[in-house]
Amino acid sequence: MSTALTWTAIIILFAAGVYFVALMERWSFSGRLDWAGPLHAFLRAFGQEEIRTRRYDTVFYEATPIIFIAVVLLAVAILPFAQGTILLDLGTAALFINAALVYIMVSLIMAGWSANGAYGMIGGWRAMAQLIAYSMAVVMAITAAVMRAESMGMLEVVRSQAPLWNIIYQPVGFLLFYFAVMAMAFLPPFDLPVAEGELAGGAWAEFTGARKILFRLGRLLLVLTLALAVTVFFLGGWLGPWLPDFVWTFIKTALVAASFFWVGRWLPRIRHDHLLEWGWKYAVPAALFNIVQVGIQLLL
Amino acid sequence: MMELQITLLMVIGLIAIWFGWRVFRTNSMVRSAFSLLASMVAIGGMFLVMEAEFLGVLQIMMMGTEMSIMAIFMMMYMMDPGGLGQMDMTHQEKPSIVAAVVTGGLALGVILLTNWGDIVPAAPAPAQQNHDLGMEVMQRSMMIFESAGTSILTAMVAALATALIIHNNNQKEH
Amino acid sequence: MVLTVALIIGTILFGIGLYGALSQTNLVMIMMGVELMLGAVMVNLVAFWRYLHPESYSIQMFVLVVMTVMALEAAVGFAIGTQRFRTKGSIESEESADMKG
Repeated sequence: MSTALTWTAIIILFAAGVYFVALMERWSFSGRLDWAGPLHAFLRAFGQEEIRTRRYDTVFYEATPIIFIAVVLLAVAILPFAQGTILLDLGTAALFINAALVYIMVSLIMAGWSANGAYGMIGGWRAMAQLIAYSMAVVMAITAAVMRAESMGMLEVVRSQAPLWNIIYQPVGFLLFYFAVMAMAFLPPFDLPVAEGELAGGAWAEFTGARKILFRLGRLLLVLTLALAVTVFFLGGWLGPWLPDFVWTFIKTALVAASFFWVGRWLPRIRHDHLLEWGWKYAVPAALFNIVQVGIQLLL
Repeated sequence: MMELQITLLMVIGLIAIWFGWRVFRTNSMVRSAFSLLASMVAIGGMFLVMEAEFLGVLQIMMMGTEMSIMAIFMMMYMMDPGGLGQMDMTHQEKPSIVAAVVTGGLALGVILLTNWGDIVPAAPAPAQQNHDLGMEVMQRSMMIFESAGTSILTAMVAALATALIIHNNNQKEH
Repeated sequence: MVLTVALIIGTILFGIGLYGALSQTNLVMIMMGVELMLGAVMVNLVAFWRYLHPESYSIQMFVLVVMTVMALEAAVGFAIGTQRFRTKGSIESEESADMKG
C-alpha cells in the first residue's frame, strides 16, 4: 500500500476513533449507545450563547482551549501508527510525550484561573494536585519500557516487543501506566478537575459555546492519544498477524479507550487526598519495583 | 544551516527575553508565574535549536510543573483573584537596575572581546547524544549524579521539616 | 557569530533575573528572579557545549545538575515561605526585619 493511501486511511480511522470515544463517553454515564448523541451535543454547544464572566483575563481565556488541543496534537505527532508511519520520529520521543502532556495541566490551571470563578479555580488547582500524584507513575513506567527497548524512539519501543508484549513482560508497569493515564485524561474515577457533580464542570465551568467545544474535542483526542500511548508502550503497537499494521494499532487503541470508560463506570470517584496518598505511597514503590524487575529480566 | 540557527535563536531568544521582562512588569502573580513559564519554555526551545534535544525536552517538561507550583503558591500567599491585584511590589529599584546593567555590561564586554575560536559545525545525532549522556552519567560523572540525588532527598526532608506545623508537646500539657 | 548571539541572549536574561531578584519584595518573586538567572546560565552552558565542545558530555551533565538546583531551590524556598506565612501571615522581605541579628 502506498504511503499516501495509508495516511488517508489513518486519518479516517483516527476521526472514527474520536467519534467512538465520544460515543463511549456518553455510554459511560447514560448506559446506552446513543449513535447520534455526540453530533447533537456538538450542534447544541455550537448554537449556544457565549457567556463570559466579569473581569476575565482575556489572553489566558482565549489561549487555553488552543493550548489544550495543540499539546494533544503534539503528543499524537510522535506516536507511530504502523511500521515507519510516524509524523515525527524524535530521538527523545518517550520523554517528549510526557513533556507535552504536562501542559494539559497548565492549560487547565490557566482555564480555571482566567475565568475568574471559584469553581473553575478549584478545578484548576485540583488538576495540579492530580498531576503531582500521577506523574511519577507515568514517568517511571515509561522508563521501564524504554529500558527494554534501549532507545527512547517510539519505533524501537514497539520493535522491542516483538518477542513478548510489555503487558506480559512488565505487568506492574502496565497497571501503573494504565491508571496513571486515566488520571492524566481525568476520566471518571479521577475526574477531580472537571467533576460535574461537585464542581459543576470544574475548570471548564465558565466556558461556553465554541471554546467549550474545543475543550471537549481536545479531551476526546486526549483519551484517544493516551489509549494509543498505552498500545504503543505496552500492547505491542502495530504488532499482530494477518491484518495490515495500522489496523491492528487502531483495534487495540479502540479496545483500550473502551476499557477506560468501562473501568471508570464501576469505580467510585477518588478523593484528591487519597489519590495523592496512593500515588506516592504505593505507586512509586511499585514503579521502582517494576524498574528493578525489568532490569533483572534484561540481565538474565 | 548556521544562518537558520542564528535566526531561530534570535527569534526564540527575543521571546524568552520579552516574557522574562513581563515577569516583573505585571501586577498579577499568576500572570508573572506563567510569563516565567513561557520564558523557560522559550529557553527549552533554544536548547532544541542548539540540537540538545534531551535537555530541551527535559527543560520544557520540568518547567511546566515547577512554574505551575509557583503559581499555586503565589495564589496561596498573595490571594490574587483573576483580573485583580493592583499593587507595587518593588523596593530598591534604582540600585537593582544599576547592578543588573553593570553585571550585564561586564559580561557583554567579556563576550565581545574574547576570541571564542572556531565554531564546530555539526553536533552528534539525538540518539547518539542520549547514549553518550547516559554513559557519562553512569561512568565518569556517577558520583556527581549520586550526590545530586542525595541532595534532592536532603532538600525534600528539609523542606518537609521546615514547612510542618510544629507541635510543641510541652505547651500542650497546660 | 552564532555563539555570540546565544551568549548575548543569556546575558540579557541574566540581567533581567538579577534585577528581579534584587528589586522584588515578595519571596516568590525573588525566587522567580533566581530561576531566570539559572535559566540564563543553562543557555550559556548549552551554547558552549554545542558550538565549542560537542564531544564533551560533562557540560550536559552540568546542565542537569543546574536543573536539579532549580527544583531544590524552589522546594526549600516554598517551605520557608510556608513557614513564614504560617507564623507571620506574610512573605514580604520588607516585613522580615525580625530576622536581623
